[in-house]
Amino acid sequence: MSIRIVLKYLGLVLAIVGALLSFPLFWSVAIAHDGAHFSFIIPIVIALPGGLALFRLISQKERSISRREGLALVTCAWLAGSLVGALPYVISGTLPSYVDAFFETMSGFTTTGATVLTSIGHQPPSILLWRNFSQWIGGMGIITFFVALFPMLGIGAARLFEAEMPGPQPERLRARVADTARALWLLYVGFSLVEFLLLWAVAGMPFYDAMNIMFGTMPTGGFLHLSESLGAYVDNPFVTTVVTVFMLAAGVNFALYFYAIRRRRLGTLVGNPEFRLYVGIFAVSAGAVTLDLVRRAGMSVGEALQHATFQVASIQTTTGFATADFDLWPSLSRGLLVVLMVIGASAGSTGGGLKVVRLLVVFKYAFRQVVAAFSPRSVMPMKIGGETVAEQTVSAIAGLALLYALALVGGFLFMSALGLDAVTAFSAVAATVGNVGPGLGAVGPVQHYAFIPGVGKIALSFLMLVGRLEFVTVMALVSWSFWRWR
Amino acid sequence: MYIVVVGAGATGLYVASLLAREKQEIVVIEQDEEAAEQVRRTLDVGVVVGNAAIPRVLWEAEVQRADLLVAVTGTDEVNMITCFMAKELGAKKTIARVRNPEYSGYLLVGGKSPYATRKVVRPRSLGVDLFVNPEIEAAREIVSILSGLYVTPMEEFADGRVQLREFKAESAAVVGKRLADIPFPRPCVVVMLEHGEEMIVPSGDEKVQKGDRLYLVAARKDMDQLGAIFEVPRRSPRTVVVFGGGTIGFHVAEALEKRGVQVKLIEKSAARSQEISSKLKRAVVIQGGRPDRDLLEDEGVAHSDAFVAATGDESLNILAGLVAKDVGVSRNIVVVDEPEYIALAEAVGVDVAMSPLLICGSRIAHYILHGGAVSVALLGKEDAQVIEFLAGANARVSKHAIGELEWPKGAIIGAIVRGDAVMAPTDATTIEPGDTVIVAALLDEIPNVERLFKAP
Repeated sequence: MSIRIVLKYLGLVLAIVGALLSFPLFWSVAIAHDGAHFSFIIPIVIALPGGLALFRLISQKERSISRREGLALVTCAWLAGSLVGALPYVISGTLPSYVDAFFETMSGFTTTGATVLTSIGHQPPSILLWRNFSQWIGGMGIITFFVALFPMLGIGAARLFEAEMPGPQPERLRARVADTARALWLLYVGFSLVEFLLLWAVAGMPFYDAMNIMFGTMPTGGFLHLSESLGAYVDNPFVTTVVTVFMLAAGVNFALYFYAIRRRRLGTLVGNPEFRLYVGIFAVSAGAVTLDLVRRAGMSVGEALQHATFQVASIQTTTGFATADFDLWPSLSRGLLVVLMVIGASAGSTGGGLKVVRLLVVFKYAFRQVVAAFSPRSVMPMKIGGETVAEQTVSAIAGLALLYALALVGGFLFMSALGLDAVTAFSAVAATVGNVGPGLGAVGPVQHYAFIPGVGKIALSFLMLVGRLEFVTVMALVSWSFWRWR
Repeated sequence: MYIVVVGAGATGLYVASLLAREKQEIVVIEQDEEAAEQVRRTLDVGVVVGNAAIPRVLWEAEVQRADLLVAVTGTDEVNMITCFMAKELGAKKTIARVRNPEYSGYLLVGGKSPYATRKVVRPRSLGVDLFVNPEIEAAREIVSILSGLYVTPMEEFADGRVQLREFKAESAAVVGKRLADIPFPRPCVVVMLEHGEEMIVPSGDEKVQKGDRLYLVAARKDMDQLGAIFEVPRRSPRTVVVFGGGTIGFHVAEALEKRGVQVKLIEKSAARSQEISSKLKRAVVIQGGRPDRDLLEDEGVAHSDAFVAATGDESLNILAGLVAKDVGVSRNIVVVDEPEYIALAEAVGVDVAMSPLLICGSRIAHYILHGGAVSVALLGKEDAQVIEFLAGANARVSKHAIGELEWPKGAIIGAIVRGDAVMAPTDATTIEPGDTVIVAALLDEIPNVERLFKAP
């Protein structure tokens, strides 16, 4: 593995982050006049020329990026992007502690939406815009964006793309990976525009609000610039419905949209087994929470249905918006929400969690062992939607599910050691690994992560990254043999 | 361009990787799940798993919008059927690899010319635009190298009026000199200089080092004289030993014996030896497997003029070539599969290493013609191409002196053919409409060169 080649392309990624910082800078200078422009100019001056210089100065004979270099580059890009992206919070004084700022940025890029801001609303608008914009970039992925912009890496691009895309086997929608990345970003931007227009032009929301809510919805992020999440719009059923629909849409595999549009057949989307299970889980959970709210919390059916559908969609897609403090809900609803955090959205979506298709495979895998106990000779290939999944893929999925469980348990123990109570500790870990954001107890929807000690914040930031990049990419870098045989 | 490659064997992989480097959009169809996964891991191309001879699979690969389909599975019949159906579905052009000469019509017929062929099946009626047969083409190239004055490979342009030939810098007349100082006896252009791994478009100041490869473009009639400063011309061989009686070995032996060369063919399998020896008229067939000294010395290989190693095993071929060299054969030609091994083999003492894959690649490259290009040859490890352009009346280059043009840095004009006259270009030469222009260019520069040959 060549460290030089990793540094070279890392420079290019940094330059992209620097360039993207000019959007909040523009907002600060031209529109908000909030005086926060230096918070952006300094990181831009560091990242843009620095990154380009790194790219230009390191000469490397033209060759593709190897597998190891790809894994290292993706992980380093996310880390470096967050280190640079944290600067505006520190410089503007919004978050004086760098660890806090790093946590907040990582939470943004990984579309987690867990915040350390104790109150929201009085910060400069451009800082809050950066906070929301960072999750929109992270939604479809920094590296995917990079691959779409610079189609020069050949097969190296595929290695980067696969290391970042969520899901067991990222599909190449087009023959070339760069075209695939472009198609995905195009779909993503398209959905974002439609949602923004619905909120701004149809619902009559202010431009800034509509834009920021969209930046929170499409990447299934969860950050908002409003102090009580989406509570301010709870009385506007059109807005909550639009946001619910787009959260659910963002939690679907984008490849399915691509094929449905390309083949002009809705069946490609509706017939997909993962999509069906995803919708099924949503419907059953929303129904159960509605009943629970009506019976135990005494809400009217209409109110319960509105809160239940919104909250279930928000947690299942790992967005983390709240229209109500669900921490005060009955215990069945709270428990169900924690389970949904772990399951998460679909593979190839912008959502996090274990992913629905993996749950499906793991269940069938477990069931197969049961059948094998009384009928050891039966041949049982893993079938999803009539197609056989290769045994290698099955064992990869089982392994990942195991890693996911280990991360939950390990994180839970670590957080407990820092003095958090059981509910807070477990939900905080589930909400960060799953890129959800708010948990229960002391990290509930109207609370924040500010009180957690610095070590805990770093650990949770690591969990967010591990969750976003789906373990193996990051874990490879901390494995002994990765470095031993480089 | 959208190109579908059928079959992910060695040839399919090579063709796909070659085209992927040119930034074409490519989909590979492969039946075997594991081989398909291998493609997915190594190339930035789309992959469809399935039997390409089934219309549904072709449809899935969107063959209807394909500019070209290249069928290179292991089976001739599958390749032909696939091309036929792809044509029916709407593919613009198709190329099939057909190994069996009975189909391909690449039969080597007796007579003086090695290019004489007899058509057996008409490709067009099968929907195939081009049959390629890497093995037979490799055999033809071996024969052409052996019958020429020099050991080096050669390509022809402008209906054979211009030749491109590769020479290794070894003689005192060239090594250590600036290009401008080399006393070339006839007008010519050194279009590319390959130094180690690097391919450069040389200026006159470029110093030639020992072992460099020079690519020369010149009129055909001048080429033999030009070659004399690189190496001593050799008489064409009278006795040749061919090691390996596969398709290549057999066809080389057959063609050579028809030209009156004494051929000794060594083949491992007893049954195949029988078969070959009944097909060949005068060649001696010897049954033997390993290329050890005893065998080669017993059979008098040391006294033959040339040695050709063409078994199916590339490492055995290289080894055999080295052993032959060691016992004292002055020329050896070795067949390898992997194009990357060519340089390695030549570095350890093989005179000429050739890869059927590379030949297949350049045949296909001919077909993905660039702009107004007529013919294409690949240089070195496919880092550069030599392309023949026809200057149209409206082309940017027409009616301009070469010095006036904004000529790209990584490209060079090798020759201009006007009527029957072949000119080595200078800055003052004007390109007239109707001229044939032979251009050598690094891969990245090809689009820039193409632009010059299009209307502004």
